[in-house]
Amino acid sequence: MKAIIYSLFGLLAVSAAFAADACYQDVSLDCGQASNALSLPRCNAIYGEYGRHGNVATEMQAYANLHLERSYEYLLSAAYFNNYQTNRAGFSKLFKKLSDDAWEKSIDLIKHVTMRGDEMNFSQRSTQKPVERKNYTVELHELESLAKALDSQKELAERAFYIHREATRNSQHLHDSEIAQYLEEEFIENQSKKIRELAGHTTDLKTFITANNGQDLSLALYLFDEYLQKTA
Amino acid sequence: MKVIIFAVAGLLALCAPAFGTQCHVNPVNIPKEWITMRRPCRDSMRRQIQMEVAASLQYLAMGAHFSKDSINRPGFAKLFFESGSEERQHAMKLIEYLLMRGELTSDVTSLIQIRPPERKTWGDAVEALEHALKMESDVTKSIRTVIAACEDDNEFNDYHLVDYLTGEFLDEQYKGQRDLAGKASTLKKMLDRHASLGEFIYDKKLLGIDI
Ligand SMILES: [Fe+2]
Repeated sequence: MKAIIYSLFGLLAVSAAFAADACYQDVSLDCGQASNALSLPRCNAIYGEYGRHGNVATEMQAYANLHLERSYEYLLSAAYFNNYQTNRAGFSKLFKKLSDDAWEKSIDLIKHVTMRGDEMNFSQRSTQKPVERKNYTVELHELESLAKALDSQKELAERAFYIHREATRNSQHLHDSEIAQYLEEEFIENQSKKIRELAGHTTDLKTFITANNGQDLSLALYLFDEYLQKTA
Repeated sequence: MKVIIFAVAGLLALCAPAFGTQCHVNPVNIPKEWITMRRPCRDSMRRQIQMEVAASLQYLAMGAHFSKDSINRPGFAKLFFESGSEERQHAMKLIEYLLMRGELTSDVTSLIQIRPPERKTWGDAVEALEHALKMESDVTKSIRTVIAACEDDNEFNDYHLVDYLTGEFLDEQYKGQRDLAGKASTLKKMLDRHASLGEFIYDKKLLGIDI
């Protein structure tokens, strides 16, 4: 009997799309039954078809994982610039900050995934083509490492655009303005600033390196590192 | 045509140092007598860093589990997310130490590998606390093997690193273990007769809410 009622409600739910009182129905059905267990399967945090259409839910998990990976990569870059040979405390600080930010964002994303009623999958990868990782190394010189940082920050920013698009106009059955708003406020806004900052750094280094027939190189790198120590 | 241009560019790039733009300062040589860490000690430190990283991810998985709507234990989630960040700090401290001793001029990239945490669900909060306690015991054991590797070297007893690991790391491990064991005991006693209410109350306690 119960099964029939459930399937009936199920049919109703599908046709309605907004199953506004699904949890209430579960409660009404289960309470007062002979069994002393309550399953209440529809009393959860899922709404707006989150995780049921498209790939927003899995892309959010993958986005958290991408931040985790980048966080530890930036940490290694920070370490490399802090060895006695490279000895660039400013560059190290820049990467340490990128690492801290990525770490905090990954925790925040995990919390957001679970806030929306999903669970976190640490193995989930994006369907988006990842940036080429073959022969990946953090042992790069100053300008190279800034270039890598700029590229990887753009990847993070473009991934946010992609998820935003999937959450809104790319999906017929899903318009998740909560995810869109979250991405805009917590990611997209700051990412543009960070990208501009890193691009600005490469502009400065570029001019220093070529100026004066390359004679300024070692002093320029030293001074730029001092500058990063104060501002990064 | 494009291929040819790329090939030429590649060739140019190869001989660039000869006449192209140099973007970096050439390495210099500094005396190395002061770099005294020995290989077995260094390798065990590297393994320890990887272990701290793995622990950080395992704690995040615990945080994620207790954040789920079907679990709803924000206090435990907070505790485990914070533990995850602490493990990351431990990895950073060990890296700082290696840098201070003149290490990590090469083989930096291979120092850390990110793997998904092994476990992702726990029956209840006691199970998670006991798992955390087990993890910390393993870390403590592992730090002791690092210490052994760094002081047993016939040619160089690394007193300073041994002191650092003993004083800072073991100290924190033992305090952390005591804390987890205490929490697990209190919770387990409450769960004995009032499983769901007990966990609920203790969760709010962890959030700093007195009810
Ligand atoms: Fe640790």
